[in-house]
Amino acid sequence: MRGSGSGSGPGSMRLRLLLSLAALWLSDANEPGTAMTTRDINQQTRESISDYTVKGHDLSTPGSHLSTQDFNQQTEENISNLTSAMYSISIDGFSSAPVEENVTLYSPANITLLCSLTRTSTDSATVEVTWKKDNERVESSNVTINEIQNAWSTQYTLKIRDRNQMGNYACVFKSDQEVKATFHLQVPQIEGKDHHVVSYVGDSVVLVCKSLKYIPINWIWYMSNGSDQVAVNDSLMPDKYIVDEKYANITKLKILKISEKDDRSYWCQAVFKLGESKGKVSLKVLTYMTPLKPFLAIAAEVIILVAIIFLYEMYSKKKQMHAEDEKEFEQIEQLKSEDSNGVENSTTRHRKV
Amino acid sequence: MSLPANTDLGYTPPDGGWGWAVVFGASISVGFAYAFPKAFTVYFKELRMDFNVSYSQIAWVTSIMCATTYGGGPISSILVNRFGSRPVVIFGGLLCGIGMISAAFCTSILQLYICVGVISGFGLALNLQPSVIIIGKYFLKRRPIANGLAMAGSPVMLSTLAPLNQFLFDNFGWRGSFFILGAILLNCCVAGALFRPIGMAADPVQKQTIKQAEKTVKEQPNNSSIEMVPPKTVSLLSGTEDEEDKDCCEKFNKYLDFSLFKHRGFLIYLIGNVLMFLGFFAPIVFLAPYAKHLGIDEYSAAFLLSILAIVDMIARPITGIIANSKWVRPKIQYFFSFSIAFNGACHLLCPLATGYTGLVIYSVFFGLGFGMVCAMLFETLMDLVGAARFTSAVGLVTIAECCTILLGPPIGGTLIDTFGDYKYMFIKCGAVMVLAGTFLFIMNYYNYRMLAKEERERKATEETMKDNKHIRTETEDGNIWAKEKMQDGPEVEPLTDEKEGLKKEVNGKSEV
Repeated sequence: MRGSGSGSGPGSMRLRLLLSLAALWLSDANEPGTAMTTRDINQQTRESISDYTVKGHDLSTPGSHLSTQDFNQQTEENISNLTSAMYSISIDGFSSAPVEENVTLYSPANITLLCSLTRTSTDSATVEVTWKKDNERVESSNVTINEIQNAWSTQYTLKIRDRNQMGNYACVFKSDQEVKATFHLQVPQIEGKDHHVVSYVGDSVVLVCKSLKYIPINWIWYMSNGSDQVAVNDSLMPDKYIVDEKYANITKLKILKISEKDDRSYWCQAVFKLGESKGKVSLKVLTYMTPLKPFLAIAAEVIILVAIIFLYEMYSKKKQMHAEDEKEFEQIEQLKSEDSNGVENSTTRHRKV
Repeated sequence: MSLPANTDLGYTPPDGGWGWAVVFGASISVGFAYAFPKAFTVYFKELRMDFNVSYSQIAWVTSIMCATTYGGGPISSILVNRFGSRPVVIFGGLLCGIGMISAAFCTSILQLYICVGVISGFGLALNLQPSVIIIGKYFLKRRPIANGLAMAGSPVMLSTLAPLNQFLFDNFGWRGSFFILGAILLNCCVAGALFRPIGMAADPVQKQTIKQAEKTVKEQPNNSSIEMVPPKTVSLLSGTEDEEDKDCCEKFNKYLDFSLFKHRGFLIYLIGNVLMFLGFFAPIVFLAPYAKHLGIDEYSAAFLLSILAIVDMIARPITGIIANSKWVRPKIQYFFSFSIAFNGACHLLCPLATGYTGLVIYSVFFGLGFGMVCAMLFETLMDLVGAARFTSAVGLVTIAECCTILLGPPIGGTLIDTFGDYKYMFIKCGAVMVLAGTFLFIMNYYNYRMLAKEERERKATEETMKDNKHIRTETEDGNIWAKEKMQDGPEVEPLTDEKEGLKKEVNGKSEV
């Protein structure tokens, strides 16, 4: 599609198109009542939309116009059931590196992907804009292309209903060079554990997986068996595996009576409406011998240090006693000599008194 | 007053030499005692999951450990009074090790309470008190520095134990970690081995006189020789007879000196410190949660505690050096009250810090204040009661502080929960500490004045006693008592200088 200036005509057409699309969304809404009332209307709109695509931009089928008016009332009531969100990427010119963005989708929603490429004066006037899903080109009337003063932008509106629609959507701008931006549509990622969980033979351990913001429909545990993944069946082996699902966004696998065979990776799979997502927790099993070696090393160090300190103390005491004995000997000699003088002095004192 | 007249040990502490090895051992012991419960929190998450208990139930482990460490104070004091520091510390180290090794095989939370909480906690109690006591026995002139260095062991050990615990946990799980920690705690025995006993090993001169006296008694067995024997040796030789005359109260006082409760300085210290501990530990416990509450990420919040620990580590020895200087040492109680009030002021100003930079500044000042208070915590008690009675004093003080230390963080937590705002907790802690600081300042001012007055009175009575002696020697009375006094006079002269210290001891006790 070639870039063209936006006018009021195609703009209002686009709005009506959007509104009629909104009516289509109602078919997937969770309220059966409204779904039923709008079902026959939807058929009409589908036909009218196909008319649109065939006919191009100049669309003014009165029939469809009427039907959208009826739908408007319905859609205003039900449009809040499904989330709509817009995700945009800005590319800084043709020479920038490819940009990527992760889009986390929890449940069916309507999304708009917007790419805008800033334009420099050296760029040529015409640019070819395409959208690709998983590297396959997409042709869709849900794509609009705009050219503003200093940027080209393109918008792709999608209604995500099932898992087939998840994947990588890329907008490609091509003139002399090519640049693209990719949106990765994915289900919420599950947090496993980066570091392995350590446990001992004969002990029991709890492996935890959390889904932070989004609540999965279901959790399934797998264990790795070589390169395969085998489901952990807790109903078959209730005294070995217990799955605790007290809270919907946390799952705990308790493994009892651990043996060395349990030293492997475990996968917790969260099932969402739009797909599944896995988290990895790996278990490392040790025997009681493993911490024993550092223990004995440290205990030996303590005993050696205490022995050295006591030996040094005995040695220095011996030295001190030797020195003291020598001093004592000298001092006793001294006192003995003083003694003999002292006796004379005291007797003279006696006499004086 | 220059140095407090607390040379009541009966000997002059060496103030160096082997004393520095003792300080090193004491820092290891003190470090383990204070840092181990704090570093233990690394295991909480895993223990919670394995035993399937709530956070408060697992937090009881460290609470029980702290309670036993402080509550075991009096028992520790009694044991040190009886056996000396070294055997008690070695036994404490063994007890810690056994506690942690048995904790590695625990299967329920109750067993964990007993093994880690009670047994290891009591082992740490037997480490903490004797380490502080023996510093008072080895140092006098440089005691504040020695105390500051010994207390600096706590932040150093905390910075080492926390990452070590994480490393052990990652590689060995919590059971293996407890097993290895048991071995690491046995290092307290090494510290204990360094605590060489020092005590009434009399000065060499006194030894000579005793030996000489014994010889002369043997050589000249007649009554006149008794007059030649110096009075002090007589008392030493007949010392054993005196002990039997003591009644049971005094005997118990030998193990745990309850007469301290009549000691003015001790009571002041006790009341002030018990009040202070109500707001001392809560801010540390809630610093990281407060930072996260303000929107700061986990790692930066943890970094605040690291800043606190580093400033603390530097502040403690420096405070010791400042407290030892000749301007501060005589009035060390004022310095202590000032540091408590400074700490309180920090907490009162904390609610004003709303950003990360504000919290970093708060952490720096908090670390400084915390270090200052901790470095002087035991030094001031030693200064007030003297090194001989410090053994019992420290036991009695720690068991009294035990209650408020344990109450502090839960009260802070209740305030946070009720008001939903951290600032009331900080205001409460700040107010309590400023109050405690002011109380200590005023009461110590009163105490210093009373001590100065008593010193003056004592000197006055000494003078009058000396005058009386001279008057009596001049009378021409014929009674034997006077003669003996005259005869005693010259012989006693050479020993008076050595006895001065003992006289002071006697008078010191009578002041109390």
